Amino acid sequence: MEVGRLPISATLRGKLISSGYTTLSSLASVSPSNLARELEISNNEAFEVLKLASHGRGLDRSEGSGAIVNGAETAWDMLHKEQFIPRITTSCADLDNLLGGGINVSEVTEIGGVPGIEIKRHNLFVRGNRIQLAVNVQIPGAFGGVGGKAVYIDTEGSFMVERALQIAEACIEDMSDYSVLLKKNAIPHQIQIEPKNILENIFYFRVCSYTEQIALINYLDKFITEHKDVKVVIVDSVTFHFRQNFDDLALRTRLLSEMALKLMKLAKKFSLAVRINHLVVVLFNQVTTKFAEGSFQLTLALGDSWSHSCTNRIILYWNGDERYAYLEKSPSLQSASAPYSVTCRGIRNSTSSNKRTKMM
Amino acid sequence: MTPENLLHLLQTTQKCTFGCPTIDRSVGGGIACSSLTEIVAESGCGKTQLCLQLSLCAQLPLSNGGLNASSLYIHTEFPFPFRRLQQLSQAFSSSYPQFSNPSDHIFVEPVHSAHQLFDIMPKIESSLENRNSHLPIRLIVIDSIAALFRSDFDNTPSDLKRRSSLFFKISGKLKLLAKKYSLAVVLTNQVVDLMGSSDGLNALRIGNLKFLCSSERRVCPALGLAWANCVNSRLFLSRNEEVVGEGEGMVNGSELVQRRKTRRWLHVVFAPHLPKSSCEYVINREGVVGVES
Repeated sequence: MEVGRLPISATLRGKLISSGYTTLSSLASVSPSNLARELEISNNEAFEVLKLASHGRGLDRSEGSGAIVNGAETAWDMLHKEQFIPRITTSCADLDNLLGGGINVSEVTEIGGVPGIEIKRHNLFVRGNRIQLAVNVQIPGAFGGVGGKAVYIDTEGSFMVERALQIAEACIEDMSDYSVLLKKNAIPHQIQIEPKNILENIFYFRVCSYTEQIALINYLDKFITEHKDVKVVIVDSVTFHFRQNFDDLALRTRLLSEMALKLMKLAKKFSLAVRINHLVVVLFNQVTTKFAEGSFQLTLALGDSWSHSCTNRIILYWNGDERYAYLEKSPSLQSASAPYSVTCRGIRNSTSSNKRTKMM
Repeated sequence: MTPENLLHLLQTTQKCTFGCPTIDRSVGGGIACSSLTEIVAESGCGKTQLCLQLSLCAQLPLSNGGLNASSLYIHTEFPFPFRRLQQLSQAFSSSYPQFSNPSDHIFVEPVHSAHQLFDIMPKIESSLENRNSHLPIRLIVIDSIAALFRSDFDNTPSDLKRRSSLFFKISGKLKLLAKKYSLAVVLTNQVVDLMGSSDGLNALRIGNLKFLCSSERRVCPALGLAWANCVNSRLFLSRNEEVVGEGEGMVNGSELVQRRKTRRWLHVVFAPHLPKSSCEYVINREGVVGVES
């Protein structure tokens, strides 16, 4: 359906069309404030336009002119949706650039590395930040956060609450700095969140065997239905229990791919159900060596068939004295690597340039 | 299944002190409960000393950084150093007179093979369950895990696969116990020399240190990458000979006497809650003591 058919004034219609909004679906994922800024109209007007547009779309749908199969979408719609999908920042600008703005929501991302590469901290960090986003939603345009709670599934027992607290505190400091920057005069009531609240918003599950792990993944569907505000699921690590007690490798492959499918389904389901609700799944993996072409190479554990299970794959490694992240697999971004560093505040930009000057 | 309350967890994450404030400071208060900590070092660095001291300190009350608990010492290298333990416990009871016989709270269990270790797990669990005793067990030391795995297995692919699946089984079980009874678990590991070229897999860096160096040689922890995935934190002890006090001989007019001294360091290789840090220590009659730098 065309924008021309909307019952709005001719000037507004002209502005819409000249800005490129020719179809109703193109208006689907625009926020009123963005539209107002773009068209130089008042917020109220923009709001009115969007209301009419969504009403028009509803009519469209009832006419049945849209999709052939219920639930199918055109690629154009999906592209638009994707542009407005928020991403979760990693707090490290280089990493964010590598990932095209942050960790993708409604996709399954796998991160792997040798022990001590701080996959755990990374993890924590994502979580801390995740909650940072929860607050940032109130600060317009701050990080473009989505706000929500986190599910953390710990299979290795490396989750340290004191570390989570540290990162949470750093996040809160960052946020208050940010809000001071944003509003020239600091508004004290803006940041009322305490580290306590951040920790309360993390649902922590410790699983001690692979049966528990599978049961928990099955249960997640129900859990997230009950807790609609869960926006990120972190499994740290998916590997550990699957590297013991499996003599039947075919069984292991089946179980793993079943689990991966369930996670993907979760990510998709809860992203679609409520428009603004996106679910992120982050998996952590261990590395192992692989014998190929006469030499040993480093690769992520669980074998080749598992590598099909994830949408994105990031490998963390050391290069000299710096930590690097390498994007191995992604549907839309090219492979590249970026440095990062782990500080007591969480993950930040690499400080190699500073270090070098210090060493001299 | 219900999620755990992190605020509640925060209050219960305990640490078991090493009995020395300097060492404690560099490892964030001691060995963390509910997780596996590995101490890696070549022989003669003080792994066993540190473990003995730790098992004595576990019985300290919570206010002194201990766990108010007994400890289980599983030794795989023979003989068990009873005499040294006696020495340490004398020093311990002289600084803490309320413990008249501190060795009473250390249970010693010999283990000869990896399979035996796996087989006695149920026995360990039943002794952990026995909570009505005066001091329940909250610390398990396995000294050393490497000795078990380095003897029984051949260097063939099938044996190595069997070996690593056994690692994962044992560490999975230990983690389960650690979580269930909030135990501190300490494992010691040996090192192997790094041979050949320093690229490819040899250059694989695990943790904070670019490479591990002890006695002027490059070393890496035994049991490989698979095992490194099984532990939560890894500490590395190193020792290096250094020349100190060079000028002394000159005074007598005789030839230059070089006094050599062994300096020992403890490094945090990786840990989920700790930054890169290290501290120097010395071993004396009273035990392992950190040196303020």
